[in-house]
Amino acid sequence: MIIGAALLVGATVVILGACVLLILAVVAVRVRRHSRTQRDEMLLSPLRPPLITVASGEDDDGAAAEQLTWATGVSRTVLDRNIVEMLTKIRGVPAEQLVHVLEVHGAVDAAVAQMSSRSTVKRARAAQLLGLARAGHTVPLLVEALGDEAVEVRNSAAYALGLIGDPAAAGPVLAAIGAPERGLPAATAAEALQSMGVGISDVLRDGMADPNARTRMVAAHLSGERSFTRGLPELRGLLDADPDLTVRETSASAIGRLGRSEDVGILVRHTVPSEPLALRRACVIALGDLGEAEAIPALAVLLDDSDPRLAELAATALLSMGPDGRDALAGHENDPAVRSARLMASLQTASA
Amino acid sequence: MSAPAGDPDASPVRVLVADDDADIRDLVEFKLTQAGYAVEAVPDGISAWEAFAANPPQLAVLDVMMPGLSGIDVLRKIRESEFSTVPVLLLSAKSRDSDVDTGFAVGADDYVIKPFSPRELLHRVNGMLARAR
Repeated sequence: MIIGAALLVGATVVILGACVLLILAVVAVRVRRHSRTQRDEMLLSPLRPPLITVASGEDDDGAAAEQLTWATGVSRTVLDRNIVEMLTKIRGVPAEQLVHVLEVHGAVDAAVAQMSSRSTVKRARAAQLLGLARAGHTVPLLVEALGDEAVEVRNSAAYALGLIGDPAAAGPVLAAIGAPERGLPAATAAEALQSMGVGISDVLRDGMADPNARTRMVAAHLSGERSFTRGLPELRGLLDADPDLTVRETSASAIGRLGRSEDVGILVRHTVPSEPLALRRACVIALGDLGEAEAIPALAVLLDDSDPRLAELAATALLSMGPDGRDALAGHENDPAVRSARLMASLQTASA
Repeated sequence: MSAPAGDPDASPVRVLVADDDADIRDLVEFKLTQAGYAVEAVPDGISAWEAFAANPPQLAVLDVMMPGLSGIDVLRKIRESEFSTVPVLLLSAKSRDSDVDTGFAVGADDYVIKPFSPRELLHRVNGMLARAR
């Protein structure tokens, strides 16, 4: 009994002690961070006016940028950090002037060196800086970083390649999605590829034949998003026969965005009840996006579908197809699906 | 950069700038001041609405994501106020079509996505004010 009580007291003391230590540690970290912020603000304070002058595009004679290049020591480190931050907010000539300051400070060269640092944080930050500085000569280095062991670095490298916008990096970015063990998140890759201009259409066509389903999905999605009509044959092939349902849905949506009247048939073919419900719905939405009158009879039949959501989507598609589409709703005015579609359409009109 | 057109003896056109990001706030304030505007810059949505209600400007530049009231909330209040016709430009990192749609649906006159060109922002402000005259 006495031993049990002593153990309880001992454990309580240990827990209290740990709590006190934890609180002290939190306070110490906060004090240190606060004093560091104050120090940074003090160091940056004389450089803030020229920084704002350059960033606002009012440094016509380059005097303010020149002044920024004179910073040395810790002030330069703090300034460079602020410039990198500023580069995420502005573009155009002011951004180019700030990049020049970073180059004069040697920050771009330092970032190149830090890409082989052992610290994940340093590698990720270095990649970010190279992207924001639009350092085109570092594309091979950033492509290599797409296979980095840390996902943070892979993400940062993809982000940087998107900012640089060199279509030559599109293939490696797309391929990185399906890399075993060290894959790139599909959303990150898609965002980077979005910024790479029209020169990536062939890469996307090749990507639609990739063995990895996520790669095919991103390639199909971007082909539709960017209206790359040259990818239509591949999109039709994916919709018809891809083993992955998400890829088929994505392909249907892309065809809806950039397809032609001859695509009505293939979309209608995949609205039949034997197809997976998600694909049927995607094809009905795509038929509405396509807006071709040839789809009206097939959509009208789907107003009686046993899936209420599919019937509603068919009604929505018909409502978007002008007088002929609205005429096809005759006799279905009181159907819940049609009423719901009409309500949604009127709400959208009201908020537009 | 050219100053806003008008009578040189007239008082400068007043612009309200609201952004919780000090970098953006300072550089937009500096840019517009250099162009001859009288700028009041505030760091959050509540201050923006208070400043607007106390002394309505001729134009407002509002960040969308601000603490307290968002730029969309402030815009909604402006459109419901007796000064509902004041031109409003939304400045935001939210770049999806649906974000831009929401901004215009609530009544924005223009929508600029960050990262932005300060020069382009000034052109847009000049244009909005010219059309409002």
